[in-house]
Amino acid sequence: MLPLPRFDFADPTDLAELVRLAGEPGARLVSGGTDLLPSMKHRLFAPTRLVSTMRVPELRQVEPLPEGGLSLGAAVTLREVAAMPVVQRDYPALAKAARTVATPTIQAMGTIGGNVMLDTRCRYYNQPAGWRVALGGCLKCEGPVCHVAPKGKGCYAAHSADTVPVMMLLDVSVVFATAHGERHVPIRELYGVDGRTWLQVPGGSVLVRLEVPPPGAPIAYRKLRARGAIDYPQLLTAVQHIHDTWRCVVSAVGPAPLRLEATSPPELVEAAMAEVQPLTTHLASPAWRKKLVRVELARAMAELGIG
Amino acid sequence: MPTDRILSFTVNGEPVRLLVEPAQTLLEVLRGPLRLTGTKHGCDVGDCGACTVLVDGAPRLSCITLAVGCEGARVETIEGVATPAGPDPIQAAFDHHVAAQCGYCTPGFVMTLRHLFAENPTANEAELREALGSNLCRCTGYTKILTAAREAQAIYAGKS
Repeated sequence: MLPLPRFDFADPTDLAELVRLAGEPGARLVSGGTDLLPSMKHRLFAPTRLVSTMRVPELRQVEPLPEGGLSLGAAVTLREVAAMPVVQRDYPALAKAARTVATPTIQAMGTIGGNVMLDTRCRYYNQPAGWRVALGGCLKCEGPVCHVAPKGKGCYAAHSADTVPVMMLLDVSVVFATAHGERHVPIRELYGVDGRTWLQVPGGSVLVRLEVPPPGAPIAYRKLRARGAIDYPQLLTAVQHIHDTWRCVVSAVGPAPLRLEATSPPELVEAAMAEVQPLTTHLASPAWRKKLVRVELARAMAELGIG
Repeated sequence: MPTDRILSFTVNGEPVRLLVEPAQTLLEVLRGPLRLTGTKHGCDVGDCGACTVLVDGAPRLSCITLAVGCEGARVETIEGVATPAGPDPIQAAFDHHVAAQCGYCTPGFVMTLRHLFAENPTANEAELREALGSNLCRCTGYTKILTAAREAQAIYAGKS
């Protein structure tokens, strides 16, 4: 049995109170808990207080934006997102991506905001405490060395949020509440290049909602994984064609999703092949995953009827 | 020092009030103080689905659900599935098709199917397989589980 470390719990019903509690030392936000609680059982985190977002009405709201588009509350579940007629009609790739997260039960628990804030993952990090300690820990948790790149100085834990590549192509704006008011961050600027500091938001910020602009050109989305359910991605690709520009996001190959643009499909594929450098963060070999970048991009373009 | 909370909720229709620690999972509360050991303790990290219960009608992995988060909720476990008149059609079909070998995953599968048939009684083969992606079985190879699920679905459809 993997008991949770002990902590205090608060489930405020008021946004200002949520922001205040989130800013207290040792506090950590929890929504569905599908990523955080297993990590806490593995002793990756030991917050002194968990603050639940699930009872704050603003975080459960879904409404049209005044200038078109959709505002999705951060604590709306992935299953709810995938099932919404407006999402299925205007943002089918987002509905598809939400439906590829883990399993249907986890989609019914996990939230869209939680997916945006998902911790980066690595085979040396997402392990029980005893496993990690036996190896002397790693850069992202309790050790001095990265086992993926022992000579490097950084952490390469992979961004693994299934819905984010699509949201990057949709140019979603991520709205945080802080003690000093709201902050809008374009989702493409949210992630940093090191697996330890992958989220570029100050502590105490509370993700309130995701603002999705009006729908544009269709997006093809693909998730490569070992099985048809449960597994985290080995590779994520999302592709979009707007006028003379081909855009893609390639993810699960490093701490931040890679967003690339080119003026033709072959150039886009070559740009991705030049940029993407899979490492041993996953069980699948880096060489195989690199080959699959070309394959998955071609399949995504075929789905769009281009390339 | 974490503060314990008094949790009030219903389990299989019965109101329950008990003191819980914030770090206790719903699974620990069900199997411990409530003695409802039908819900199984599998991987403990939300991968396997053996601990699946329904909370307010939606499937939940009770091993990664905080009990304190269930204040006011309606929890259904495998113990609440059968009626005095007999087993649920899903249970009867699992029995009929020998869809359980060691049986450890069975309560989770039954709860997942209860939710599926309540939400989408006409689920097609792809939807059935997608829903069962939430649960792992290491004995049966899934064929008999799928057969039992299809039979149970037909019985559910005939009843309504």
